[in-house]
Amino acid sequence: MPPILQLKDITKVYPSGTRALNGISLDIQRGEFIVLIGLSGSGKSTLLRCINRLIDPTSGTVIFDGIDVTRARGAELRRIRRRIGMIFQQFNLVRRASVFGNVLAGRLGSRPLWRTVFFRPTRDDLEAVFENLGRVGIVNKAYARADALSGGQQQRVGIARALMQEPDLMLADEPVASLDPATSHSVMKYLEELNKKDGITVICSLHFLSLARRYGTRVIALKDGMVAFDGKPAAIDERRFKEIYGEDAIEVEIGPERSEAQPMSATEAAMRAEAEDIEGGRRF
Amino acid sequence: MAEYFAARGLPTPPELSANPLTRWRRLLVFAGAIAVVAIGLRITDIDLSHSNPDFAARVIVKLFQWDTSILTPQNEYETWWDTAEGLMVITIFLGVIATALAIIFALPLSFLGARNIMSGHPVTAVIYVLVRVLFTIIRSIDVLILVIITAILLGIGNAAGVIALAFHNIGVLGKLYSEAIEGIDPGPIEAITATGANRFQVIWTAVLPQLYNPYVSFTIYRLDANVRLAPILGLVGGGGIGLLLFQSINLLHYGAAGLIIFMIVVTVATMDFVSAQVRKKLI
Repeated sequence: MPPILQLKDITKVYPSGTRALNGISLDIQRGEFIVLIGLSGSGKSTLLRCINRLIDPTSGTVIFDGIDVTRARGAELRRIRRRIGMIFQQFNLVRRASVFGNVLAGRLGSRPLWRTVFFRPTRDDLEAVFENLGRVGIVNKAYARADALSGGQQQRVGIARALMQEPDLMLADEPVASLDPATSHSVMKYLEELNKKDGITVICSLHFLSLARRYGTRVIALKDGMVAFDGKPAAIDERRFKEIYGEDAIEVEIGPERSEAQPMSATEAAMRAEAEDIEGGRRF
Repeated sequence: MAEYFAARGLPTPPELSANPLTRWRRLLVFAGAIAVVAIGLRITDIDLSHSNPDFAARVIVKLFQWDTSILTPQNEYETWWDTAEGLMVITIFLGVIATALAIIFALPLSFLGARNIMSGHPVTAVIYVLVRVLFTIIRSIDVLILVIITAILLGIGNAAGVIALAFHNIGVLGKLYSEAIEGIDPGPIEAITATGANRFQVIWTAVLPQLYNPYVSFTIYRLDANVRLAPILGLVGGGGIGLLLFQSINLLHYGAAGLIIFMIVVTVATMDFVSAQVRKKLI
C-alpha cells in the first residue's frame, strides 16, 4: 500500500529569516501513530502546518494520498483539508459559541455556504455532532458555551470537531501541553482510540517522551529543522535523548495513567515553555 | 541602591536607575514650557480689555429668562416640527441616521482594513493599506468643515448635516471596527481554515462571533457622540436645532437661546447616561 503521506525535502524559511524546516523527507504509512518530539522551536508546529498548508512551505512537496498538496489551490486545497483533521494546543474553539456550534463547524468544508450563513445543518450533521460528542464523552455539555468548559473538555470538543470531517489523517499540535498529567492521558487515549478503531493515521507533537513511548508506534525527533531520529519509541536511549534535547537535558516523566495530578518540576515547566516564532507565517 | 550593582560590576536595572531627567535638565524643560506659553500669549494677542462685564452680566441674566414661545407653533404655517422640542427630536435623529449610514459603509470596509484578514496576499495587503489611509484622511477632516462643504453642495439643512456626520463617522467607526477585528483570537481562524472551510465561512464562523460585543459597544459610543455633535452642526448650515440656536443668537433672542442650550444639555446628559448603562450591561 502506498504511504498516506509523503514529505519530500520540505523547507520553510520565515520572512524574518528563521529557517524552521531544513529539508524534511518522510514517508508515513496508513494507520501509524507518529509522535513528533523536539525542543521548542525545532519546527514541530511548522511541519504540521505545512502538511495542511496553514503555512506554505518555501520549497519541497507534500503528497497526501497521491495528491500534491503543495500545488493545490482554492477548492482543491479545501477538499484536501477536509480529509485532514487538526487539533491544537490552545484548542482554538470559538469561545463564545456553544459546544454544539463548535463541533458542527467541522462540517463547514463539505457544506454549501448558505447552510453556514443561515445556520441550517442537515439531519445527518446533527446526528454526527451528537455521535462524536458521545465518543469523547461530553454529550451533556452540548449546550454549554465553549469557554465554560475545562481544558480537557475543550480539547475533547476539538477532537469531536475534527472527527466531524471523517478524516483520514489527524494532526495534533501539542494537544496536551496545556493540560495536567491525568487529563493528558485521557485526551491521548481518545487519539489512540481513533487511531486503532477507525484506522485514522495520527501525527501528534508532544513534549513528554514518556507519553511518546506509551502512545506512539513511531517517533520522529526534529532538531534545528531536521530529522534527528526516526524509529521505534523503545530505541530512544539515554544517548539518543541527549542528541535530540542537548547535553544538559534530563528526562522528566509525566505521571503514569490513572495517577493523581502531580506538581510540575522546574525542568518540566521549562521544557513546556513555548517560544516558537511562527506568528509571521500564520495565514488563512 | 545603585552601589549594590556597581560594587558587583553589574549594570543597574532600569527600574532602579535615576530618572533620566536630571535636575538641571528638568529645569531646562520647565523653562522651555514657560517660554512656549509666553511666546504663544504674545502671538495670539489675547487681550481682555475690550470685554464689557456689565453687558455680559445682562446677557447671562437674559439667557435664563427663557422665552417659552419657541415651544409652540407661532403661526398657521408652523407645525410641531418647527418648535424647539420638535427640532430637538429631529436633531437626535440626525445623529441616529448619520450613525446608521456610517455603519452601512464602515462594516464591510472594516474587514478590508484589518491586517489579520488582509495580510495573506500582496494584493489584499495593498487594499488594507489603502483602506486604512482612507479612514485616516476621512477622520482628519473635522465635521464642522465637512458641513460647510456639504451645505454648499446640498444646500443648508438636515441633508447637509447628516451626510457630513455620516461621512466623518465612516472614518471613525471603520478604524474602531478594524481594530476590533485585529484584536480577535487567531486560534479559531486557524482551526476553521483547517476544516476545509472557505474564506467567507471562516469569517462567518470564527471571526463574527468574536465581534458582536466590540461592535455593539463601539456603535453605541459613536451614537452617543453623534447625538452630541448634531446640535452644533446647525451653526454652520447642518439643520436641526442648531440652526434655530444660531438664528436666536444673531437676532439677540437670548431668552430663546438660553432655553435651547438648556434643552441640548438635558438631551446630551440623558444620552450619555443611557449609553453608559447599556455599554456597562454589554461588558
